Amino acid sequence: MTFAIEASGLHKSFRDVHAVRGLDLHVGRGEVFGLLGPNGAGKTTSLEMLEGLIRPDAGEIRILGMDWRRQGATIRTRIGVQFQITELDDKVRVREALEMFGSFYPKARSPAELLGLLHLEDKADAYQRRLSGGQRQRLALGLALVNDPDLVFLDEPTTGLDPQARQGLWDLVRQLKQEGRTVLLTTHYMEEAEVLCDRIGIMDRGQILTLGTPRELIAGLHQPSFAEIEFLGSAPDIRPFADRLGMAVEARDQSWSVPLTDAKKDLQAVLSCIEGLNLPMQQLHVRRASLEDVFLQLTGRSLRD
Amino acid sequence: MHTRIFFNQLKMGLILYTRVPAAMFWIIAFPVVMLLAMGTVFGGGNDSASKLVWERAGPQTAADTLLLSVLTAGGTVVEIASPSDAEARWKGGKLPIMLVGEGGRYTLRINSYLAGQAMQAKAVVQQGFLVAQARAQGSADPTLIPIVMSSPGGHQEGPYAAFLLPGLLGLNVLMIGVFSTGIVDVTLRAKGGYKRLATTPLPRHIYLGAQVCVRLIVVLVAAALLMLVGAIVFGIHNQGSYVSLAVVQLLGAACFICMGYVLASFAETPDVYSGIANLTFLPLMLLSGVYFSLDSAPDWLQRGADLLPLTPLLRALRAIFNDGAVLGSQWSAVAIVATWTVVLFALATRRFKWV
Repeated sequence: MTFAIEASGLHKSFRDVHAVRGLDLHVGRGEVFGLLGPNGAGKTTSLEMLEGLIRPDAGEIRILGMDWRRQGATIRTRIGVQFQITELDDKVRVREALEMFGSFYPKARSPAELLGLLHLEDKADAYQRRLSGGQRQRLALGLALVNDPDLVFLDEPTTGLDPQARQGLWDLVRQLKQEGRTVLLTTHYMEEAEVLCDRIGIMDRGQILTLGTPRELIAGLHQPSFAEIEFLGSAPDIRPFADRLGMAVEARDQSWSVPLTDAKKDLQAVLSCIEGLNLPMQQLHVRRASLEDVFLQLTGRSLRD
Repeated sequence: MHTRIFFNQLKMGLILYTRVPAAMFWIIAFPVVMLLAMGTVFGGGNDSASKLVWERAGPQTAADTLLLSVLTAGGTVVEIASPSDAEARWKGGKLPIMLVGEGGRYTLRINSYLAGQAMQAKAVVQQGFLVAQARAQGSADPTLIPIVMSSPGGHQEGPYAAFLLPGLLGLNVLMIGVFSTGIVDVTLRAKGGYKRLATTPLPRHIYLGAQVCVRLIVVLVAAALLMLVGAIVFGIHNQGSYVSLAVVQLLGAACFICMGYVLASFAETPDVYSGIANLTFLPLMLLSGVYFSLDSAPDWLQRGADLLPLTPLLRALRAIFNDGAVLGSQWSAVAIVATWTVVLFALATRRFKWV
């Protein structure tokens, strides 16, 4: 397997902040890889090192088999980059922005083609300032695709977007994969990583804690599923239930959540306790663990903290 | 390939410039507004000097008649006013000078705020009085020292607007450097605009070269417009060569554009930058004689101001525009500006950062 990104032992400090501490990352060609982690985990710094914007203090990077120090100009013609926030001139029109970025490259896709891909045909002559958040992100993605890149970097592409706009961007990312491009994206939305990525690296405090397909990561949990017991109105006192069950139970306002190690056996125990205590339960369902739970187990913290 | 990118950037830069009303106002319209406003208020030089308000209490005496005829013959338009009327106008604060006649004695009242504008009328009245006295005594008219109005270089007998216009040309390049260049630079760096460009193959020198050329073109357009308005409204024309004027103006623009980049490299946010920019802009504008000559300032201040880039730039612009000086005669002023430009350019290229 040839790699689009090979990075080993990357370190980067800013004054007293050690932002990235020994990052190792191999992303295969055609793969969609997600770097997942809370704000401040070092995702953006990692990305900027791989994009050739900042030089690592230590470590080696090869992009599409090339070295930034010697083949930077060639690498730039073959990658596309989207930032969290792309500040273009307010008064630049959508078509003009696409034309302008296209002019930087030896070969560029036509604005008309990109406008069609991004579903921005009717905004072609609008100032970028007048675009909605989702339209602006799509334009930023279009600018990243203007040179028909082999490798695309997307830094939190859907942060701050409404669900519909997010869905639209997801479709575009899926299309990139179908076209055989490699995508490296960062996100702090677990759902986004699960839906889009072939593989995920969970990052915290400047390091990758664990790495794998979403399924592998979840399967690797001790308790890959949860029983959720919901009540009509507020939940009753949890102690009798917890004592009788003899397992960890998490109480919320109107529900209890029981992590299941052995789904079949544990679920039977839960049901018999409910029966025995004659609890006023409204419904019970079993939830598959998510990447959120993976993160919680790895770091002891919730992702949104 | 690079040539194509450059012209593309240049074209785009000019188009975007015209879409920002604030930039257009400050760089293109503001100098014209200043020329019209200040040129008119302070301006009709010869005109205001030839008008005189004369406060007279009693009936016209023989001496009054004689003085009046001498002044009128000399081209002064005299307006006789009653004491109460004259007092009201004096209180209004707009008269630079007023002649007060009381019981055969004359007094000249000069508005201390507008002493400069009163000087010429003062000389005219005092000389006229000597002539009137001589005639009253039947002697021959005294010999008067002739007064000639001219600019320092001795060519243009222009109104204040003629002094002001080259000053505004200089102010314009200061503004395009410190404000238009510096603020855009800080904003693009702070908001990641440069970072985005840095991930593309766009060569840095092509991008910056186009940005500088956009501003040089804007400077030339603004200068042309200002001179056009000066010619139409005030009848003032460039006495020297337009090529020399353009060379000096472009050198000045290059100098202050480099200054904008240097200053911007010390600020991380546009807010911080606006402080730095104002701290630079105000002293330069006030010390370099954009609006008024600094003749009455202390010597050390004048000599210090001579070393700033704007003072020699204005000196060269005025020498060419008002006095038709050839470029070669301004070599010392040009050398100071050129030195600043070289130093600032070196600093700007050392300190410039994409990311």
